[in-house]
Amino acid sequence: MTLATAILLTVMTAATPLLLAALGELVVERAGVLNLGVEGMMIMGAASGVAVAIVTGSSLLGVLAAIGAGMALAALFALLTLGLSANQVAAGLALTIFGLGLSGVVGAPFVGVQREGIGRITVPFLSDLPVIGPILFRQDPFVYGSVALVIAVSWFLWRTKPGLILRACGENPVSAHALGYPVLRIRLYAVLFGGACAGLAGAYLSLVLTPFWTAGMTAGRGWIALAIVVFASWLPFRALLGAYLFGGLIILQLHAQTAGVAVPSQLLAALPYLITILALTLIMAMRRGQGGVAPAGLGLTFTPDR
Amino acid sequence: MTPDPASRLRRRLLGAAAALGLVALSQPLAAPGAAALELSGEPRIAFIYAATARDGGWNEALDNARLRVEAELGVTIPTVESVPEEATALKNAIDLLIRRGFNVIVGTTYGYSEGILEAAQENPGVAFVNASGATNSDNLEGFYVRSYEAWYLAGMAAASVSETGRVGILGGFPVGVVNWDVNAFALGAQAVNPEIDVIAVYTNSWWDPVREGAVTRAMLDQGADVIANNLSSSSPFVAAEEAGAKSIGFQLDMSQHAPNGHLTSVVFNWDQHLLPTLAALKDGTWEPNPWGAFPSMADGVVALSPVSDLVPAEVRALIEETADAIKAGTFSPFDGPIHAQDGRVVIPEGTRIDDAGLWGMDFLVRGVTGTLN
Repeated sequence: MTLATAILLTVMTAATPLLLAALGELVVERAGVLNLGVEGMMIMGAASGVAVAIVTGSSLLGVLAAIGAGMALAALFALLTLGLSANQVAAGLALTIFGLGLSGVVGAPFVGVQREGIGRITVPFLSDLPVIGPILFRQDPFVYGSVALVIAVSWFLWRTKPGLILRACGENPVSAHALGYPVLRIRLYAVLFGGACAGLAGAYLSLVLTPFWTAGMTAGRGWIALAIVVFASWLPFRALLGAYLFGGLIILQLHAQTAGVAVPSQLLAALPYLITILALTLIMAMRRGQGGVAPAGLGLTFTPDR
Repeated sequence: MTPDPASRLRRRLLGAAAALGLVALSQPLAAPGAAALELSGEPRIAFIYAATARDGGWNEALDNARLRVEAELGVTIPTVESVPEEATALKNAIDLLIRRGFNVIVGTTYGYSEGILEAAQENPGVAFVNASGATNSDNLEGFYVRSYEAWYLAGMAAASVSETGRVGILGGFPVGVVNWDVNAFALGAQAVNPEIDVIAVYTNSWWDPVREGAVTRAMLDQGADVIANNLSSSSPFVAAEEAGAKSIGFQLDMSQHAPNGHLTSVVFNWDQHLLPTLAALKDGTWEPNPWGAFPSMADGVVALSPVSDLVPAEVRALIEETADAIKAGTFSPFDGPIHAQDGRVVIPEGTRIDDAGLWGMDFLVRGVTGTLN
């Protein structure tokens, strides 16, 4: 395997958790809800996933537990923001802090316990192709799943009626409500989907990439996922681009260092955020006079009159 | 990466200690020659941690020392965990302990430097010591250890088993206390194989296991076959083990994480510093060093865990011999001439680096691939 192939492989593994979490948050925000608790849901997914996988010995059950844990935290967020009309920003931040703490408790008995990570799927024959073989046809299931999810989310949001209704709830919840759509219930489904994706991203960290539990192992990836949603201007295929770009930057920075290239690593670490700001500025400049790209109702509390 | 408020406290070995060292050396915080501290009554000791005590790294090494001190002195030493690195929270914890009658407070992180100094000034009858602390006073002493001495030996072990002629080391932030470990590791490796290529990567974080795993894989992809981990998560060991590479640990004996490839670990034995300190406190002869305590391998505070049989016998003998010379003071890893990466002489022939030079170390030695910024 050449060095370039090796680098591309690691870029894909670095990008996948970002992509999964960003896709979930993208759907949440398309429904008009801003959930800043991605980091908290992700780390709860990581902790629960590895805990259940160790106890039961089944990676599949671990993944399901991670999805469930992410959804449980998302449900709590939904209770606060949709049920009780609490401020979304405050509730999201609280969710992150809560998740970081609770994951430490859940994971405590499993610190230092190692297990076999989830292996790669090897596609017969095709995986033997030079260069593209190992990259495209010898990956773990999450990598394939995340790309399939991009297509599915894109199709759902723009090619189906429920997708159109979900976006309507994010653009103008009052009108959607007037048309008879259950805005809060639709937002609840979106928030739960976001939690499931964040939990899945966490499971990727603790069951595939680093197959054991350590406190704080998400190390800010949930925040990068939030930045990717903005970078992507709320479009799934741009989120794919964003995740691979940001994941690529992280890995390139490491390889630049091992190769002795004198690039300030702090600057490279700041680049994802800088690029997000630049992308947003550019998009807004190009759209001057045509309104913003964010869902118009994003982050605003909606309480239906009964 | 992103700030992660609730966590990462780990071995905040501090970039800060470096800063502290500089501050201390340039402007002593206490007048030298202060009188010895008289404790009121028997020493009653308590430890304060910024995270959980059994964290698998920095805190755990200190907590092991706590347990050994307990056994040695036949006392019970309570702990307070997860006290944030912030003066108000720390002082609340300390006040509570003092009200309950504790008169020896052991802090465990650079982040406590400011708060513990305030507490020390408010409680002159109480003794304070702080691991990797950057502040000192009449009743407060920060302590760290000359970890580079053992890292030099670890470098010898690494070079002796490398088949590719390339070894890697992961560090946290490019500050003095990390740079001296990286440089000593490289110099030790060069002592065994002058042609060895040492890759150094700084993660710019004290705690990011996923990234540390990625760094390890990047170094392995670049041809390194021995990975030394100057951080404390186990992911570098797991990644190295997976690839059949060798590894070297830090802070605790990390052999359990890499049963096949573990060569040795640079381990802290903080009890070797705490026991004499407590004895002096008991005798009423404890006088904090105004620049902080800086024990060495000769004091037993830092050591190498048993070296694996993977390391050739003659190299193991050489490591032993070198360790003896370091302990005797006849040799130091930073005896000149030492050249920086660009070839300039940073420590001239016939001289040895002083403590100010150690704390302020801002270069990598010749033969290291990597950058400090």
